[in-house]
Formats: sequence, C-alpha cells, structure tokens
Amino acid sequence: MPSLETILITVFWSAATIAIYLLSKRTYRRWPAIWSSPLVLTPVLLAALALSLHTTYSEYIGATRWLMAILGPVTVAFAIPIYEQRAMIMRYWPVLAFGIVVGSGTAILTAWALASLLSIDGMLRLSLLPRSVSSPFAMAISEKVGGVPDLTALFVVITGVAGAALGEKLLRILPLKSSLARGALFGMGAHGAGVAKANQIGAEEGSVAGLVMVLVGLVNVLAAPILAYILR
Amino acid sequence: MNRTPSVTKRKTAILLHKSLHGNRLAQVALIVLLWLAGEAVSRSTGLPIPGSVLGLFALLYLLITGTIRLSTMRRGANVLLADMLLFFVPAVLAVLDHSEFLGLVGLKVLAVIFAGTLMVMCMTALAVDVGYRLMLRMESKHAVS
Repeated sequence: MPSLETILITVFWSAATIAIYLLSKRTYRRWPAIWSSPLVLTPVLLAALALSLHTTYSEYIGATRWLMAILGPVTVAFAIPIYEQRAMIMRYWPVLAFGIVVGSGTAILTAWALASLLSIDGMLRLSLLPRSVSSPFAMAISEKVGGVPDLTALFVVITGVAGAALGEKLLRILPLKSSLARGALFGMGAHGAGVAKANQIGAEEGSVAGLVMVLVGLVNVLAAPILAYILR
Repeated sequence: MNRTPSVTKRKTAILLHKSLHGNRLAQVALIVLLWLAGEAVSRSTGLPIPGSVLGLFALLYLLITGTIRLSTMRRGANVLLADMLLFFVPAVLAVLDHSEFLGLVGLKVLAVIFAGTLMVMCMTALAVDVGYRLMLRMESKHAVS
C-alpha cells in the first residue's frame, strides 16, 4: 500500500499539471503568441511551482508518470491521420520519402556534429539526436540509443518552439514553389508546434506537415535499432 | 467461397461501428487495447519495435482492410491526439535536475538545437521542392510520350 503522503502528492501534482495545462490553453486562446503557447507556458509555470515548493524532479515525475503512460495509446492513435492522408501518400510517396530521409539524416548528423563541435558528449549528445521527432517517438528512440528520454522531451519542446519561430522567417527566404515543401519544412523541423504553424499558413501545408510529422516519427523509430547499432 | 470473408468483415465493421460510434470512451478503450496487445507482442517476441508502434500498425491494418471505419474511430483518436502535450509535459520538468543548463552548457544546447533545426528545415524543404518538380517533370514527359 502506498502511504497517504504518496497518494496526496500524486493527486496534488497530477491535478496541478492538468490545471496548469488547461490554463495555458486558455491563455493562448486569448493571447496567441509563441511565448504564451501551452508548449512554453505549461512547463514554465509547472517548473516555477515545483521550485517554489522545493519539489525535486524525481518527486514530481513519480507523481505524474501515469500521464506519460498515455503516450502509448497516443502513438496508436496516429494511425488515424496516416489513414486520413492515404491519398496524399499514394500520390507523393517518392517525394515524401526523399524529404523524410534527407531531413532525418540532417537532424541526426547536425545534432551529432554540432554537439561534438561544442564538446557536448555522452548521454547529453545522445539525448539530442532524436530532437526533430515528435515526442512519443523521440522518447522511445532516445531510450534505444542510450539517451535520457526525459531530457529528449525537453529538447523536443525547445526544437518545436525554435522551429515554429524560425520556419516562418525561412519561408520568406527560401524559393519554395510547392505547399508540399512548405508543409514538410514544418512537419520535419518542428513537429507538433510546426504543424500548428503550418495550419496557420494554409490547410494544405497543415495536412502535409501533420502527415510528415507522423511518418518521420515512424521511420525514425523503425531505424532506431540500426542507429543504436552504429553508435555502439 | 470468396465472398464469405468479406461479408464477415463487413458485418464486423457494422457491428464495431454501431457499438463504438458516438462513444469516444469506447473508441479510446479500443485504442488502449491495441496498445496493450502491441506491448505484449513486442515483449514476447523481443522485436526492437515499441509495442505502441505495433499497435499503430494494427489499427492502420484494420482501417485499410475495412474492418474498422475511419468515422468509427476518428473522434476517440482526436481525444488523445489533441491533448498530447499534457502527456509528455511532465518529462520536460527534467530540466529541474539540470541546473548546469542555466550556464554555458545550456547555451551550447540551445545553439545545437537552433542551428540544427535551421539546417533540417532548409534541407527538407529544398529536397521536397526539388523532388516535387522532378516528379511533375517526369509525369509530364510520360504524358507527352
């Protein structure tokens, strides 16, 4: 039997996490900006609360780990957007496959090369490798290649925020003719946050970005054992 | 002979649709079931693929074969997908354990992420754009000849 204290801590932090998440969503609806997006606001507010209550990460995660277990069913649910976009897959699969391979290769190589250049090594460098992949997939990959899944989740969030902000500026510079390329830019570079941004640019860009995000996750998870073998 | 499996499949589809349609909780329950089955298969076979991904393929298979209709599952799946952030945000608090990120290490990590993401976006967009134009050109050539 867990002690009463454990139960209380679990209930408190679970409720706090859900409440702050809902609050962030509301705030964003009223004042939409990157700094007020739930992706930024939720972790910042939660961290502030944890720091002010002197709660350590292990205490916090012990109480909220059950929320993360739901990422399993979330991954299964990604079958729906894939199936919804089957016409696009049939039509453009060679282009999509090319973009995903180039993008994923660039993501892993740049993470490794830039980290090494700045003398970041060990588990920190490994945790950076899957940062361009949507978090449920990225955390699975991180574990496989010897990184820390929780740190990877942090880097995934930073990547999403950075990518959503950078992507808009890039669109003005790059001579992109197709909505396929504009959508892939966001889906590959900034996963969830990128998909939201792409949807603001256009419906077609949004659905391309969403599809690319899921396919990138799948391809990378399936390739992770090979990557782990190379790194060993 | 050939018709029997497709008839059963259609019956299953109708039955599943009737019992799951409009009931998001039941749809989520089916997704959870597929996840658990995937985990069990992944663990017992020692496949290097997460059980959740096996569950994804199982659901995709059911959709493609018509055993489950898209409209049967869409709303339940959206319940999970719409609030995905809530389910991984706890891990982000791992930052609490890494006070070194407040210093030089943090700046380095940010540099890696920003520069890397910039390159990923450029390479992907250019690759897709070039591939797209190539594909259109090849198709128009085929159409002419």
